[in-house]
Amino acid sequence: MNDAVILDPALLEVRDLTVRYAGTAAVREVSFRLRPGEALGIVGESGSGKSSIAGAILDFLGPAASISGQILFEGRDLTQLSRSDHRAVLGRKIGSVFQDPFTALNPALRVGRQIAEPIVRHLGVKPSEAARRAVSLLREMGIHRAEDVARAFPHQLSGGMKQRALIAAALACEPPLLILDEPTTALDVTVEAQILRLLARLRQQKRVSLLFISHNLGVVRRLCDRVAVMYASQFVELGSVRGVLERPSHPYSKGLLASRPPLRAASRGSRLPAIEGQMPGSPRPEAGCVFAPRCPYAEPRCSAGAQALCELGAAGMTTKTAGAHGVAASDHLARCWKADVVGDWPRQGVDAIDQGPFRAGDALVNVTRLRKTFTTRGGLAAWRLSVAGGRPRLRHQPVQVAAVDGVSLSISPGEVLGLVGESGCGKSTLGRLALRLLHQTDGGVEFDGADLSQLSGADLSAFRKQAQIVFQNVGSSLNPRLSVGEAIERPLALFGLAKPRARRQRVEELLDMVRLPPTYRQRYPHQLSGGERQRVAIARALATEPRFVVCDEPVSALDVSVQAAIVNLLADLRDQFGLAYLFISHDLAVVAQLSDRIAVMYHGRICETGTPAELLATPRHPYTRMLLAAVAEDTVADEPPQGEPISGQASGCPFAARCPHRLPTVCETTAPLLRAVGASHEVACHLEPSSATQVDAVLMPSIVT
Amino acid sequence: MASYALRRLGTVLFILVAMSLLVFLATHALPSDTAALILGQYSTPETLAALEHKLGLDLPLPVQYWHWARAMLHGDMGQSLVMERPVAPMLWDAFGRSAILAVAAMAIVATLGVTTGIVAAVWRGRWPDHAVSVFAYLGISVPEFYWGLVLILVFGSTLHLLPTSGIGNLSDGLGSYISFLVLPVATLTLGFLAHVSRLTRSSMAEELDSMYVRVARSRGLPERVVIVRHALRNALVPTITVLAQDFGFLIGGIVAIETVFAYPGLGRLLIFALQRQDLPLMQAAILVLTAVFCLANLCADLLYGVANPRIRHGGAVD
Amino acid sequence: MTEVAALAGTISRRPRLPRPLIVGAVIVLVLLVAAALAQVLAPYPFDQMHIRDRFSPPSLHYLAGTDEYGRDVFSRLLIGSQLSLLMGVSATLISMGLGVPLGLLAGYRRGLTDEVIMRALDVLLAFPPIMLVLLIIAVTPPSLLKTAFAIGVLSAPPIGRVTRSVTLNLMSGEFMEAARARGERVWYVLWRELLPNVWPVLMVEASLRVVFAVLLGAVLSFLGFGVQPPAADWGLMISNGRSFVEQAPWISLAPGIAMGITVIGISLLGDGLREVLDPRLGNRR
Repeated sequence: MNDAVILDPALLEVRDLTVRYAGTAAVREVSFRLRPGEALGIVGESGSGKSSIAGAILDFLGPAASISGQILFEGRDLTQLSRSDHRAVLGRKIGSVFQDPFTALNPALRVGRQIAEPIVRHLGVKPSEAARRAVSLLREMGIHRAEDVARAFPHQLSGGMKQRALIAAALACEPPLLILDEPTTALDVTVEAQILRLLARLRQQKRVSLLFISHNLGVVRRLCDRVAVMYASQFVELGSVRGVLERPSHPYSKGLLASRPPLRAASRGSRLPAIEGQMPGSPRPEAGCVFAPRCPYAEPRCSAGAQALCELGAAGMTTKTAGAHGVAASDHLARCWKADVVGDWPRQGVDAIDQGPFRAGDALVNVTRLRKTFTTRGGLAAWRLSVAGGRPRLRHQPVQVAAVDGVSLSISPGEVLGLVGESGCGKSTLGRLALRLLHQTDGGVEFDGADLSQLSGADLSAFRKQAQIVFQNVGSSLNPRLSVGEAIERPLALFGLAKPRARRQRVEELLDMVRLPPTYRQRYPHQLSGGERQRVAIARALATEPRFVVCDEPVSALDVSVQAAIVNLLADLRDQFGLAYLFISHDLAVVAQLSDRIAVMYHGRICETGTPAELLATPRHPYTRMLLAAVAEDTVADEPPQGEPISGQASGCPFAARCPHRLPTVCETTAPLLRAVGASHEVACHLEPSSATQVDAVLMPSIVT
Repeated sequence: MASYALRRLGTVLFILVAMSLLVFLATHALPSDTAALILGQYSTPETLAALEHKLGLDLPLPVQYWHWARAMLHGDMGQSLVMERPVAPMLWDAFGRSAILAVAAMAIVATLGVTTGIVAAVWRGRWPDHAVSVFAYLGISVPEFYWGLVLILVFGSTLHLLPTSGIGNLSDGLGSYISFLVLPVATLTLGFLAHVSRLTRSSMAEELDSMYVRVARSRGLPERVVIVRHALRNALVPTITVLAQDFGFLIGGIVAIETVFAYPGLGRLLIFALQRQDLPLMQAAILVLTAVFCLANLCADLLYGVANPRIRHGGAVD
Repeated sequence: MTEVAALAGTISRRPRLPRPLIVGAVIVLVLLVAAALAQVLAPYPFDQMHIRDRFSPPSLHYLAGTDEYGRDVFSRLLIGSQLSLLMGVSATLISMGLGVPLGLLAGYRRGLTDEVIMRALDVLLAFPPIMLVLLIIAVTPPSLLKTAFAIGVLSAPPIGRVTRSVTLNLMSGEFMEAARARGERVWYVLWRELLPNVWPVLMVEASLRVVFAVLLGAVLSFLGFGVQPPAADWGLMISNGRSFVEQAPWISLAPGIAMGITVIGISLLGDGLREVLDPRLGNRR
């Protein structure tokens, strides 16, 4: 131990932490220090072991896990404490917030009571006083009607509100350390931005240290001082956020950063750099570098000996290994002996051919004033008892909600239309209406000039053949009881696309098209990784030789490195077969990567459309601006996102309730129509004059008053 | 909550009407001829016709049903054909005696079953869990009347500790009265205890694995509080429904057990009516038993509503 | 050497079969063989009376003793296993024949169809189970098939409910939407996409139904509304032996033990299946 360590005591120091399940390591030799007030992010893909670190500190890994190494918190080794002593530290000294706010609150207890519980327990405060503190904590979390929220049951709150309540409970006893495990992953981007802002504020006000676990580099960048990149149970890089994100040293970090699509318009010929292969499952090879099989810089030596976390700057072999227990004084460590010499991640095929912008022709899909309402409470459940004028009355009150509310758009052959919006905005419903998987309430969809609602028999079958869909949920997009071959073969048989003898060969061709080996024919879905399943689903959709494919969040469930490969594949297939896509996603960056045009959807309506370049450079609609601000990684948005997506029905602009520039009467009473503001740029906003000259003035607050 | 309760009540009423129709129609398909049964061997076509007219048996079926249902609602259950006495007093006496068995068994099952279920869930994979699951397998492996026989063999024939048939007289003292109840109640309890404790265990185990329990632990709450205040509260909600469903099996159990222990309850009365084809008695007994089951289910549904905040408090707060 | 290591690797990676499944499967297999070969295995014809050997206790001669007519209890147990299994299996098949199509239909069509089917099943469920069977059997002369039918009807609601809930779950699965996007016909979707997924869950539920039918069948025979004498039905044997429970307890106890083993075997098999299929399956309702 050197003097520096003693002078600067760590709040939390993890030394050589290893967690094994039945012999397989989930966490291997992880060491880090967290100083008071500091924020450390741990970034890794699913299955990298990052949550097991939190699990070891918070003691919820269960008896199946064996833990070795030390977890020193305020000088005490948590792994050596008895269960009850450990429990006494949790809540009092270490607060924690988890990924899914929807299951983390007890459904049977009022929210306020759940926040007050640790106060009563750890601080010995009377319940009535603790309840008062719970309310003031909720208010500190930026909740206006704190008393009402404290009295509410969890099911009465939205996801964002629940997560605020959970953060309040975690901070109830003012712990010096807060552990956050993917706290915003289950939330919409604008709500995520609000929660991150809240955490940043709390960090400053309360001087609380953060251990922030996430798969999202952008989120970590906004909140943390230092970051550790985790891959297949090990830390592969550790350093300051700026150092790691701007000058990544480990090949994996380089690949991870490169494969994340940038938030800017991409040309049709461009492709994302991707990391080939996939993370090794369990049991993992423990000799040599874990990343070597996927590393473009790997050489035989990499697989020979174990790699150590080394300081950067010193040359290759002579680098001294970090600290006595793997904790180094240096700022930037990487687990790669070549870290100092490897160059940028190879950008193979990127910007290979620049085909120029897409030129729209006659519409292949034409959607006009499409409307779809759902009855959320119908049938027997719609009967409501009310007491009016002293007399009980029974009334039938079905509740109608418009998921898609007067949407018009068109897609040309070979064009990619990106559809962006938050959960519940109706984008998936729109996609299904376009394929006649749902029947519209009003308006129409034309495919190749034919009205979909009029199709039947052979015509309908011909349409089904030409229009296909790829889904988000890689877990349920394939029938678990059918092999890959059977799944891909079915459309061939159904539409008579290949003679029975030729089918097998065609299946193998299709597998090859999505870059899977022919042997995968015999596999079943549970034997495939998420990315592979998505490839099979794409092959199945392509088997009918469609002209139009609805891609409903096709990469949202995938890890970043896999996501890039699938986006590239979709782009290749588009070019190869001239496919038109309706590409639905909540992720503006992914949409911008692939789309020729983007439509932004809010609460059933399109609020802005334009090319990616137009939309990203000069967003006109306040909602588009809010979305952009929420995902902008490095800049602090000057326009804080407010509120959460609402589900009620209003007669005016659907966005009025959240809009910072709302005009007093017109916005609340009249729904704005889409108006052209540029060559291909349309906006539905009262603030927007039909000419494109006064853009800046429009968004100035002075207009509002 | 009010509309929830009203909907449940509506469902129960609907089921009762459906059931009374079923009972009425089924008994009318009986091969026996009521009038002939009453008149016995001295019947002549004329007397038969006269009696059928007097009993209203010559009316169309819907009218007969209406008359029957109206009388039932007024508490008039008709005349037993075999015993030639009004059905109602006989039935209510037997009902009271059966209710004692049912309530006692239900109370034991609810308390003991839930307790053992919780113990098994908390000590999952250790000996209390194994003990409960062995006991559960034994409990459900044979019909309850078989346990009745075994108990009779052990406590009656072999040990001579307890009476094995009939019912005690309160004038002989409470102790004697209760001694007659011990074996039937114990027998009734056995099978359902196993069922309830198994289901409580699984729902409790599920809650203990849930995210919010993990979160409660991570707030440093002691295990006792986590189990009682957090997990148990939610685990009991499905148990309520299970208890109500089991009540239906309990009624079935009572029929068999009253036969084994020669206990003069409603179950034995029903068997008697079925064997002798005593139509009014049969109809009344089945309808009363079914109504009791429906009421038990209604109570469970309402309790479920009270225990479940999603039903008690509807709307969103934000 | 490497081969052994590789083999060990594959073995350790394959999930081990749960013990209940193995024990249950062995018991059920033995039972099935015993029932199938009952006529061959039985030392005596089941209705042969040995007047001089009435009430003889279990011995090498009479493995489970003899009853009041001197009939060999063990032989009767073997023949009785046929009746019990027949009752259990036929009632379950009837309940599945009714419940599976109704459940599939309710889950697939949803809306009004669902509402009507589920309310109808609710009415069936609202009957105390034994009442309906007693009602049906009291109305017409008893027979094994009719008892099985009555029990089968009673078991249809749970089967229907399980089928419906699994179907509803699957309906939200995106492979179902992919099938609709191809314009697949209803029967193909039900038969090839849905049913293979419902099957495993149904097997677990079916094991519960077989147990239910065996037990309820025994209760009915015991009360005299099921199989009629002189058939060697287990419930009937227990009932007959009741009068002699003090002097010859084996007459009643032996069939009970046989029934217990049967039920435990089937239950273990069902629980084991549940564990293998999906650890979360236990919480499906």
